[in-house]
Amino acid sequence: MRKFVKGNPDLCIGCRTCMIGCVVEHEGRRIFEIDPDGYDFNPRLHMVKTAKISVPVQCKHCENPACMAACPVNCIKVINDAVVIDTDSCIGCKSCVQACPFGAIDMVSKIGTQQADGSMRVVANKCDLCVGTGNGPACVRVCPTSALTLVDEEKLKEVVCDKRVATANAAKVFADAKEVE
Amino acid sequence: MGVHEIEDAKLIFNFGYNGADSHPIVQRRIVRAKQKGATIICADPRVTEAARIADVHLQLKGGTNIALVNAMCNVIYNEGLVDQHFIDTMSVDYDAFVEIIKKYTPEYAETICKVPAELIRKAARMYAKAPSAMILYGMGVCQFGQAVDVVKALGSLALMTGNYGKPASGIGPVRGQNNVQGACDMGALPNNYPGYQNVTNPDVQAKFEKAWGVKLSNKVGVPLTHVPQRVLEEKDPAKKLHAYYIFGEDPAQSDPDVAEIRETLEKLDFVIVQDIFMNKTAEFADVILPSTSWNEHDGVYSCCDRGFQRIRKVVEPPSTVKTDWEIICEISTAMGYKMKYKNTEEIWNELIDLCPNFAGATYEKIEKYGCIQWPCRSKDMNDKGTVFLHNGKFATADGKGKFYTAEWRPPQELENEEYPLSFSTVREVGHYSVRTMTGNCRMLRNLEDEPGWIQMNPADCEKLHIKHGDLVKVMNKRGWCITRCNATERVAKGATYMTYQWWIGCCNELTIGSNLDPVSNTPEYKYCNCRVEKIDDQAAAWDYVNNEYKDLRSRMGIKMIGEEA
Ligand code: SF4
Repeated sequence: MRKFVKGNPDLCIGCRTCMIGCVVEHEGRRIFEIDPDGYDFNPRLHMVKTAKISVPVQCKHCENPACMAACPVNCIKVINDAVVIDTDSCIGCKSCVQACPFGAIDMVSKIGTQQADGSMRVVANKCDLCVGTGNGPACVRVCPTSALTLVDEEKLKEVVCDKRVATANAAKVFADAKEVE
Repeated sequence: MGVHEIEDAKLIFNFGYNGADSHPIVQRRIVRAKQKGATIICADPRVTEAARIADVHLQLKGGTNIALVNAMCNVIYNEGLVDQHFIDTMSVDYDAFVEIIKKYTPEYAETICKVPAELIRKAARMYAKAPSAMILYGMGVCQFGQAVDVVKALGSLALMTGNYGKPASGIGPVRGQNNVQGACDMGALPNNYPGYQNVTNPDVQAKFEKAWGVKLSNKVGVPLTHVPQRVLEEKDPAKKLHAYYIFGEDPAQSDPDVAEIRETLEKLDFVIVQDIFMNKTAEFADVILPSTSWNEHDGVYSCCDRGFQRIRKVVEPPSTVKTDWEIICEISTAMGYKMKYKNTEEIWNELIDLCPNFAGATYEKIEKYGCIQWPCRSKDMNDKGTVFLHNGKFATADGKGKFYTAEWRPPQELENEEYPLSFSTVREVGHYSVRTMTGNCRMLRNLEDEPGWIQMNPADCEKLHIKHGDLVKVMNKRGWCITRCNATERVAKGATYMTYQWWIGCCNELTIGSNLDPVSNTPEYKYCNCRVEKIDDQAAAWDYVNNEYKDLRSRMGIKMIGEEA
């Protein structure tokens, strides 16, 4: 089963350290040395604050990714069990953005990638679980309140197990109610 | 109490304190307390992160704090939830206090603070019945014309329920600025020497005169917030201020009514600014003294819980800057008083020997234990300082806690037809204080940059035909600024909020400088009126914002890497 990062709104304090951690991980330390306006700031997860919820939203690394199916040039691939966009071959058609039911993909421009007409390349952007860094997702590591977890098969099984117990208990209540009748 | 105790609290009453934006590291402890089963009551006009996870959110109208606190005390009194033994043995002035709170029934308070009476009752019962309860308050209490009254009323709430002298109880100010406790501890106040020793006390004066070998004044100085009046209005030339030496402070950005501050700075004969980067005040300076930043020097910080902690130099500063203490020594010497120290430890040792409450807090001890909370009076390694200030008895002359509250006074400048919205300054996570330290930090600029936001309820936005993200003009009779509209359900109808660090979206153009708390002299940053106007030509407004920002940056000499110096 593919892993994914999940945020817990009971723990999240909306500080966006995770977004910074994400950018630093993907751009590398060079970002502290180059022109402050000369790099991309494209976090792959986004803090959402509604009336009662604060939580970052990111890709769920679906088992049957709608984005992958929608991409006409096959630039969304599964690498090391993560759903990853190959931004070099992305043509910027936005099909994946529309296909994703979670709003996990956005379109971003890439600084320093001039095209024939002088405009910058615009490509699809989303969480890649920091694949290839060997460190695991940066957002999970930097969050000050441990609001983010990397959910794997084990963890998901636990959740399912708990829910089954809850369902079983509810069935008992239901049965008792029947007897009273 | 100590900040670490927050995690073990049974109940946290979080009042006018937005930890998630001001001090995320403290908020982390509030979140942990909640995970460990603590009950959280939050009193705040906005849905802050703490309000979001609270069991009860008292969403009061700004400027009505004391009505709410009095009403909670009223419920506790009327329902017999008081700790009578504690009141009888440990306190004074209870009867006078009860006289005032009697009037503040929850129904009466509801008419003022707009919190449903039943919710006030619920919160009061929860607070009173908790095995121990801790109050945390912040600038939502302190930055009003009626501020110290509210602090004392909150103190009385804790007093009537016996919430002192035990773990995770009491009342904790979570101070607005990093090391503001340290500034007060070190005597950066108009009336004190270090260690809260009053300048008008002849014994104290004699002690410092002997130690420093110089005659000292016994006159109380001028509070920061009285500076404009002492420059602009003072007729007596002997009392008028002529020079202003400012360090680590940016009054042209952070003080209320900045138009008046600019006038003040212009009128002064001589202004010195000592800081790490250029800021708005430095634009008015006759002399700028560049100093080192927090990671380029050694020192001691005091945490808001009176804990002394050491900070250490981690990078070598450039040769063009000096530490604050070296600059002070050189200026002093140039002015005829020879001041010379080898290092910060030598300064610290002199200081603690002059302050009985700090005498035992040696570098060695702070180093060994990580943190020493004063009072720490003995150099003996076993004196590890004081966790609870009020343990067994209160640190007052008679050892007793004094009850106090007051009648509610409305804020000075209320909404009216011309300026129908209320306006308050707040914080945002990521940018610290006036942005001197964080505004040029690339990552933080990427998250948030000029011209900032004004938080408004979506219903108010709709009325004005403005959308989230639009540039808008915010104004009142003192001034105006341009910022972006942040339409959010987290603020109540009729109220608006702006963070105070933006140079272009400068909310202190609007705030009011004249309504100071009579005791603390803190201005009413948290309440004045305003009007928000739609801007039809958004493109032109963006040009204005971008050009102003660019101009300001180039005037301040902020260069992009690769740009010609
Ligand atoms: S770092 Fe953690 S607490 Fe901060 S916004 Fe991200 S998930 Fe929330």
